[in-house]
Amino acid sequence: MASVTRRPTLLPSALRVFDLSLGQMLWSRRSLFLALLLGGPLLLAALVRFAAVADPAALPRINGQRIGGLTLFGMMMWLLYIRFIVPVLGVFYGTALIADEVDDRTITYLFARPIPRAAVLLGKYFAYLACTSLLVLPSLVLLYFLVAPIGERGIGAGVPALMADLATLVVGLAAYGALFAWVGARVKRPVVVGLVFAFGWEPGVLLFPGYLKQLTVAYYLQALVPHSMPSVSPVGSIMQMLQPAPPSVAASLAALGAITVLTLWLAARAVESREYVLEP
Amino acid sequence: MIIAADHLSKWYGQVIGLNDVTLAVPPGITGLLGPNGAGKSTLMKLITGQLRPSQGSITVFGEPIWRNPASYARIGFCPEQDAFYERMTGVEWVAALVGLNGVDEEAARAMAMRALDLVDLAGEARKKIGAYSKGMRQRVKLAQALAHDPELLILDEPLAGMDPVARRRTIRLIREWGRAGRTVLVSSHILHEIESMTSNVLLIHQGRILAEGNVHQIRDLIDEHPHTVYIRADETRALARAFLAEDGVLSLKFEDQALVVQTARPDAFYTRLTAMAASGELGTIHEVTSPDDNLQAVFQYLVK
Repeated sequence: MASVTRRPTLLPSALRVFDLSLGQMLWSRRSLFLALLLGGPLLLAALVRFAAVADPAALPRINGQRIGGLTLFGMMMWLLYIRFIVPVLGVFYGTALIADEVDDRTITYLFARPIPRAAVLLGKYFAYLACTSLLVLPSLVLLYFLVAPIGERGIGAGVPALMADLATLVVGLAAYGALFAWVGARVKRPVVVGLVFAFGWEPGVLLFPGYLKQLTVAYYLQALVPHSMPSVSPVGSIMQMLQPAPPSVAASLAALGAITVLTLWLAARAVESREYVLEP
Repeated sequence: MIIAADHLSKWYGQVIGLNDVTLAVPPGITGLLGPNGAGKSTLMKLITGQLRPSQGSITVFGEPIWRNPASYARIGFCPEQDAFYERMTGVEWVAALVGLNGVDEEAARAMAMRALDLVDLAGEARKKIGAYSKGMRQRVKLAQALAHDPELLILDEPLAGMDPVARRRTIRLIREWGRAGRTVLVSSHILHEIESMTSNVLLIHQGRILAEGNVHQIRDLIDEHPHTVYIRADETRALARAFLAEDGVLSLKFEDQALVVQTARPDAFYTRLTAMAASGELGTIHEVTSPDDNLQAVFQYLVK
């Protein structure tokens, strides 16, 4: 056998770790939980569709107007996917990128190889992105075909918006995953911190006028969602009037890109310098 | 020297893992002998760059090892923990890890198959690791350590849980590596295992190196203490009957599907046990382990 002395570089090493991790991630208990989570919106959509077919008058109304399938899809996309599923996935997968290997005590095999530790994090991050996208994107497409036909407009009218929604989901998964990968690499109770950020801090600051909302991921994702959100209450209308105009799509993409790259870099730095002591 | 530690200490919070250790490991095979919790695994993790020294320094091939992954290509590490990617087959797992050394996919698979063949696991290479027995899991772990043909092998309790035949074969393999000019640091809490591989031993206890070099005197001390062996086998009663006739067997006890034997002559006992396992005359012997109570007693005596 020939001795190998050439040291692999960051990206090829990350791709090797990606290969090694994707299968493990796809068949993990966490992915089963994700599949169940994604079943929720689909079940809800199926019920709405059934109700619309059985009794069109049963459809919800906003400001006296019966909402159509595309509007309903837009609301479900924003409230269930962007504001709930994507942050949940970011928290549970992102914080566990390295922690899972540490808990399983398999990290030794990766860290004993002549690759930068950052490559392990990066490879597992890519695997997370592929795994979650593979599960979430088909679910959204299914949701679209269940909900969009409700009402007068046809399925085709919403396809461009659907494409934009799919891209938004990937961008959201990338940003939240990177952010929580950093949280996972830095703090002791990353899941708690992640959940507080996603479901305490973000909805909290988004409600109020001011610039704190720029310190959230959701604020930039909001600008990417192509659907106009109907206001369901007078208070909501007043709040919307007080809010400054959302950032442009280009500015939002740039901000989300910056969040992703910066937090991934910080996470990689933390993993490089941190010592992982395995429990006996 | 291949490995050199200078006043090396490692603490886990308030717990001392390794305490002011200065040592030099030459080429060839060196045994690291000590009871559980002595600091063997901590030392091995420091040598492989898994842990950062709290104090002092450690160099491997003349270079500091912590955060120096370029050196890791020259090291093969077989850790103690029984942890794997259970859904992968043996060859997939070993090839994937060898691939991280910068080897292309095809070459990595060929190297993995060669390594699995060396540890006598080629026939089971395409089975999922989750379906492997304890001994097979030890061997696949060994295969990933040696597949990239490293100059330095760090083996943490590599024989734990192996059946006598695999144990004998692995010991022979380790001795061959030593003869081929490689450096091997192998840990165990069983002197007889270490002694069958090398006479160059580091004695470690409570985080300190007690002695290094040839340890025949220690061996004499250990022989004065009864040695306990736990054997998991299909035919424990037949084994017990056979051992009753052996000199030096002090007691026999049945535990679930295992036989626990206490012997005053461990060398003769292991030779007989290996012969029985190889012949299969008394059924299959699945696993042989030895608790470290006897070694612990000797170390307590030494440090008094």
